Amino acid sequence: MKTFTIGGIHPPESKLTASKAIEKMPVPSEIVVSMSQHLGKPAKPLVKVGEEVKKGQRIGEADGFISAHVHAGTSGKVKSVKSVPHPGGNYSLSVTITTDGEDAWAEGLNTAPIDWKGLSKESIIERIKDAGIVGMGGAGFPSSVKLSPPPDKTIDTIILNGAECEPFLTADHRVMVESAEEVIKGLEIITSLFQGKAKPFIGIEANKPDAIAAMKKAAKGTGIEIVTLETKYPQGAEKQLINAITGRTIEEGQLPFDKGCLVHNIGTAVAIYDAVSCNRPLVERVLTVSGMEISSARNIRAVIGTRFSDIAAFSGGISEKTNQVITGGPMMGRSQFTLEVPITKTTSGILFINNAGLESSRERTCIRCGKCIDACPQGLEPWLLGNEAQFRRLDEAELYGLANCTECGSCTFVCPSKRELVHWIKYAKALVNNRKQRKTA
Amino acid sequence: MISEAFIPAVTSLGSLALILGIIIYFVSKKFYVAEDPMVTIINGILPGVNCGACAYPSCNQFAEELVRTKDTTMTCPVGGADLAAKLGESLGIEMAEPKPVTCAVICQGNSDNARASAEYVGIQDCWAAMQAFAGPKQCRHSCLGLGSCIAWCDFNAMRIENGLIVIDKDLCTGCGACVPACPTGVLVMQQKKAERIFIACNSHDRGADTKRACDAGCTACQKCVKVCPEEAIVIENFVARIIQEKCTACGKCLEVCPSKVNCIVLEKDMVKSTNAS
Repeated sequence: MKTFTIGGIHPPESKLTASKAIEKMPVPSEIVVSMSQHLGKPAKPLVKVGEEVKKGQRIGEADGFISAHVHAGTSGKVKSVKSVPHPGGNYSLSVTITTDGEDAWAEGLNTAPIDWKGLSKESIIERIKDAGIVGMGGAGFPSSVKLSPPPDKTIDTIILNGAECEPFLTADHRVMVESAEEVIKGLEIITSLFQGKAKPFIGIEANKPDAIAAMKKAAKGTGIEIVTLETKYPQGAEKQLINAITGRTIEEGQLPFDKGCLVHNIGTAVAIYDAVSCNRPLVERVLTVSGMEISSARNIRAVIGTRFSDIAAFSGGISEKTNQVITGGPMMGRSQFTLEVPITKTTSGILFINNAGLESSRERTCIRCGKCIDACPQGLEPWLLGNEAQFRRLDEAELYGLANCTECGSCTFVCPSKRELVHWIKYAKALVNNRKQRKTA
Repeated sequence: MISEAFIPAVTSLGSLALILGIIIYFVSKKFYVAEDPMVTIINGILPGVNCGACAYPSCNQFAEELVRTKDTTMTCPVGGADLAAKLGESLGIEMAEPKPVTCAVICQGNSDNARASAEYVGIQDCWAAMQAFAGPKQCRHSCLGLGSCIAWCDFNAMRIENGLIVIDKDLCTGCGACVPACPTGVLVMQQKKAERIFIACNSHDRGADTKRACDAGCTACQKCVKVCPEEAIVIENFVARIIQEKCTACGKCLEVCPSKVNCIVLEKDMVKSTNAS
């Protein structure tokens, strides 16, 4: 079984929803579509208060090269355009739509599938761009940008990321089991953009035997290789996945295409297939609703912009003991302070947790045990970065590889002193950014 | 004998010291850097805290530059008018009157006024809290009350009281070191006056949102703008701002402010510390 070479941890898997089929959630009475659902500059809103919108209508225009279009998730009337809490931990400009219940598509969208093989490379990328597709694994890098690497870089490996190494999350797992055909077609579209020079892989962790079987069956005769990976966190992190499958290492400051690789998420592949063959913009996604405090943990397909409160109600409500709500997985996700936040293109799961049983999170001092060094998949010394951050020695922190940290949370997970290492590292990154901005200003 | 054992050690080390001493003497003669004695005198007058408020990295560099250029517009914001007079006296020139500033906190969101959105349990530092929905207060333009700025103040003029930063106006010298340390920008430098009125709110949210989040929030109601006889108040980005050059501190705006806790603040005896010295 293949795996990445350094570090890694084994948190409890807690995949409560692995065998639960994806359920379609009805469109709620109000949706909040954020203009900032991707890496890069937020989109510019194209609609005004009171305007009627159709499902799939473009309501946000990409602003700049690294940005993506945003579409209305359903038909209705624009209630407000203002800054509201965003699950990424900040506030962002969002369009609130009061739904009319008709869920009517805008003209020319969601057509019968066409044969994409007749389309040129440019028109495929154009369709992906128009559909506002971004990496649905978490970071939200615009896919059209990722699919057009600089001409001097040769891509020889395309990897579809089915590792889903975060505990609790099972969204990609269920998509692989239930929509294996679409995943394969999506990957074929991506591969076709590189004129058959690139070898396609799908990496899946060994704890999903049904997904591996389904993908192997669907991939028969297509030349796609299904790679079984060891169950280890963070197997699904881009750099670690590349290392596991190809043996190559992405150095500090490099992007995957510098080493001839391209990694896409399972959900992104399906979205690409939908966009290219059916002209359907990215307006809904599959996510896992889980945790100990939700009545019925499940996998749902929800319209992007659905509020957490609606999702909690749809899943039978949450218990009174809930004191933490996390977007994404427990390792890299973010705590939320309100259920009014909406899901975005990158929300892979929502967890409702009671953390009272966990040990006090009060930080103690580093005892130099070195467990974080063993756990770090990037080969860093997290305790050192944490110390430098704590005493604001930013130059030293940068020297010891601050920028190379992927914030996977392995060090914080293993630390016996309960140090908030990832938070300290994020803190140092924020200060470094602030310093850069002040220098350029 | 003990003395015999000492002789070689004393002679060898002594002669070595002598030779090195002679070398040092000639080297220091050869590479002597002429320094204007004036710089030393000016350096003695300057506060010597190297705060950087004058835009020079240290007091010494400020002194060198001042002695070299005799530029009358160069000021030390920390020293104020007294220091300018002393500098002028030493150099025999008339120094320009400095416009002293001090720090003003444009937020009154303490635990009584501002409503909390959640309990924040992460790292107790403003920049860390900014990553979690701009801190524990509902208003995301407010003072987060975790005191990242305190470490930047060379004059011990800052402290946290009831979840809000408080400036000791006697100790604040207006050096401005704290301004970039605040992630929400509630610290601003404003002209020092006997009586200073300013709007203590930084919320760029719409009025209704501001009111919901804080009792002392400026809702941009325009009442103070209309009543001001000097036209010194402007509304910018949903918050009022007083133009200090025009403001006469008549206090009419204080009477009309409809906020539960006035968002307009009057500070008195601002120039006490410099007059006393």
